Amino acid sequence: MTSLVTSTQDDTSILLTIEKLSIKLQDKVILSSLDLRLNEGDILGLVGASGCGKTTLLNTIAGFVKVNEGTITLDGRILNSKLANNKDEINLPAEQRQVGMIFQDYALFPHLTVKENIAFGIAKLSKAKQTQQIDQLLHILKLTDYRDSYIHQLSGGQQQRVAIARALAPKPKLLLLDEPFSNIDARLRNELMVEIRLLLKEFKTTAIFVTHNKDEVFTFADKMAVMSQGQLLQFDQPSIVCQQPNSYQVADFLQLGSWLPCAVTTSLNTILATSLLGEFELASESAAAQQALTYLLVKPSQLILTTDLAENIIANAQVEYISMTEQGYHYHLQSLDTLPTDPPTQASHLAFTKLSLYSDNILNLKQKVRLDIKQENLLFFNKSMA
Amino acid sequence: MLVGGISASTQLFSHLWQTVLPTYLVNTLWLGLLVVLLALFFGVISAAIITQTNVFFKQQLRWLLLLPMAMPAYLVAYLYTDLFDYAGPVQRMLRSTFTWNSPADYWFFDIRTLPGASVMLALVLFPYIYMLSRGAFEQQDENLFRASRLLGLSAKKSFFKIALPLARPAIAVAASLVLMETLADFATVQYFAVNTLTTVIYDTWLGYGDIGAANALASILMLLILFAVLAEQRSRAGLRHQSNRPNLNKELIQLSLSQQIMASLFCWSLVVSGFLLPLALLINMALEYSDVEQLTGLLSIGINSLKMSVIAATIAVFIALILGLYQRLHSDKYAKIPQQISGFGYAIPGTVLAMAMLSTLGPLDHWLNDSAEFLGFTPPGLLLSGTIFAVVFALVVRFSAIANGTIISGIKQIPHSLDYAPATLGAKLNRSLIKVHLPLLKPAIVMAWLLVFVEAMKELPAVLILRPFNFETLSSKIYQLISDEMLEQGALGAILIVLFGLLPIVMLNKSEKKI
Repeated sequence: MTSLVTSTQDDTSILLTIEKLSIKLQDKVILSSLDLRLNEGDILGLVGASGCGKTTLLNTIAGFVKVNEGTITLDGRILNSKLANNKDEINLPAEQRQVGMIFQDYALFPHLTVKENIAFGIAKLSKAKQTQQIDQLLHILKLTDYRDSYIHQLSGGQQQRVAIARALAPKPKLLLLDEPFSNIDARLRNELMVEIRLLLKEFKTTAIFVTHNKDEVFTFADKMAVMSQGQLLQFDQPSIVCQQPNSYQVADFLQLGSWLPCAVTTSLNTILATSLLGEFELASESAAAQQALTYLLVKPSQLILTTDLAENIIANAQVEYISMTEQGYHYHLQSLDTLPTDPPTQASHLAFTKLSLYSDNILNLKQKVRLDIKQENLLFFNKSMA
Repeated sequence: MLVGGISASTQLFSHLWQTVLPTYLVNTLWLGLLVVLLALFFGVISAAIITQTNVFFKQQLRWLLLLPMAMPAYLVAYLYTDLFDYAGPVQRMLRSTFTWNSPADYWFFDIRTLPGASVMLALVLFPYIYMLSRGAFEQQDENLFRASRLLGLSAKKSFFKIALPLARPAIAVAASLVLMETLADFATVQYFAVNTLTTVIYDTWLGYGDIGAANALASILMLLILFAVLAEQRSRAGLRHQSNRPNLNKELIQLSLSQQIMASLFCWSLVVSGFLLPLALLINMALEYSDVEQLTGLLSIGINSLKMSVIAATIAVFIALILGLYQRLHSDKYAKIPQQISGFGYAIPGTVLAMAMLSTLGPLDHWLNDSAEFLGFTPPGLLLSGTIFAVVFALVVRFSAIANGTIISGIKQIPHSLDYAPATLGAKLNRSLIKVHLPLLKPAIVMAWLLVFVEAMKELPAVLILRPFNFETLSSKIYQLISDEMLEQGALGAILIVLFGLLPIVMLNKSEKKI
């Protein structure tokens, strides 16, 4: 149940379908022709820089934002349907969508008790049914003692659990979570994420949660979507996204490594990417091979450090910045001799400044070292959007 | 005063108690209840329409609905009586249209009744409720409504389940303010001959010259006021702080065309009946009846009013600044006390306050004169109780709360770091106050000054009782003209009071736009 990988990909279990969704707010394009499919029971982590449209996407699914074009279908029901140049429009009101939401500030009703907050969405049920359901939720979320407390009497973590109980009570088809962990103490966060994930799995709840913290996705989600400028760049299992990012933007946003500029040259029948740290062979059909300049994603684990410089081991980088982390020392390394210029010239365009290296070795500032790169699983990307 | 009142066992008081007092008391309670209910009806509904829906003329109505605040209730009362009287234009027109000849031929409502007085007061007091509930609605976190809608409630239902209960403390504060104003009202009920506690206090003092009985009556009124004050403070305690960064992007309830028209009409009828129509009637009167002689007469009276209000406003703001800054810079728990005490003054009706002044300043004056005589000086006369001093003193006591409230909320806007920053740059306290705090407080100072100024211009009972012989202000003059059914003579002065009353509203609106 806690496994991060789910392999249900068949169409029969698709719960949420978003097609060609476009949103404009005050003439600004927020989402442009976005497609998304989510399987029943999956938890999707939506990441992206602030302003990329992830919160707007949530609010649109919830029914708070007007759709300019596109369709949203949840469990076979059309929530939104709007074609360009067509006046016919379906826009189901928020209260009829069977979509639950947990807000960043929880949005708990301050004038109601814990019990009344949870009962809010199930007022149509009989009193006995309500009580039974509330008691069950209070029990699962360890809130039984706070049944009659008001919201301001609870701690942040308790408030969040009330928000979850309230959202789950009406048994929504889809649960949306807007940066649910951003207000939680870092120490508690991980524990809470694991706890809530188990809970969602227990209730078999399909969920989308928004965050700007990729680590939360790894702990919490089955699927990961990286958004930028109103579009989905990549959508897959978190492990796949990290091992095989599909673009410079994805790798850069997720900070999967640092960038090494390479010049692409053809000599004889091989296409070579030449950097200040060595040459790498490129497959002739790869996108990188079509460019004059490409970037190698250098993960810290791919760097080989040599500090004992000898005659045949020539230094090619020097230490520019040192900090201490839990993974040992963190160094920024800069190319020797050639420094980057703005704009880059023929001489400086291969220079690098901030190659990240983690090591237990103690290096000094400005110390010259030798860097080599393991020639396996090399990923080259072009900077411009594909 | 309270002690004097309780120990007063004058014959008049017991006579009053056996005869008319119970009726007056009941009248007072009914009046308070009716005005509060009506003002709630007008104020909460209009605030809800403006903040929650896509009503027509929303931007204009938003501030127009505040204007009735500038209208003194007694003016509205007089003008509407004029309009709806047997001899007034409305009934004349009806009679000529339907060829009715006498009152026996038809039924027409009588405005000079307790319900009539309630409507008049509610028409000019509802903006308090409108303003505070509008603020409460606007500050509510939109996410609460989104949560409610996702839990299955429509936008309208969410309003009743979430917005209204959350605004309840603010609405209660406003309602208790309206209750205080109603209990303090003197001129409207006097003009309508609806006998309430304020009128009987006034009559007991001026008609029978019995200050003991008047004090006793005033004590009863103060007990009622105390109830309103307690209600207000309880409600204030209930004002809950919301999330630090509430989502204020309101999603409006979309009204159908007919609903939009109805809602718009409701708001416009309040604006018209509470402000535009009375003002139009006044302007019409002024155009028809004013002449140069009247104008010069009003001019000297107007100057009296200005002088008195300027002095009162300046002193009140000065005191508020000292108290406010003292409280800010001395964070011990007692620093709040002087300000809280001064805040109580607003709750004291002008009539009661004037009685209290007379009973304290009068003996003080006698003592001064006696001592002067004893020391061989010429007695200075009624130095305190017989001069403008008493009036100004009463006005300052009564309206300090307004100045305090405004200044304090201004001070709260100044970050605490600014208290300390000047010292780290080597500036002494007085320099930092002059160079940092006062300039930052300028808008609050101006606002506080204007509010007290306008209230002082409008204040009637305290001025009426305490003014020196032959000292007239615009409000006292207008009141006399109203009593003599001759407002035409003072229409210009009345317009002046209304126009002055608009100043703080305009300024409030302007400063709100800046934010």
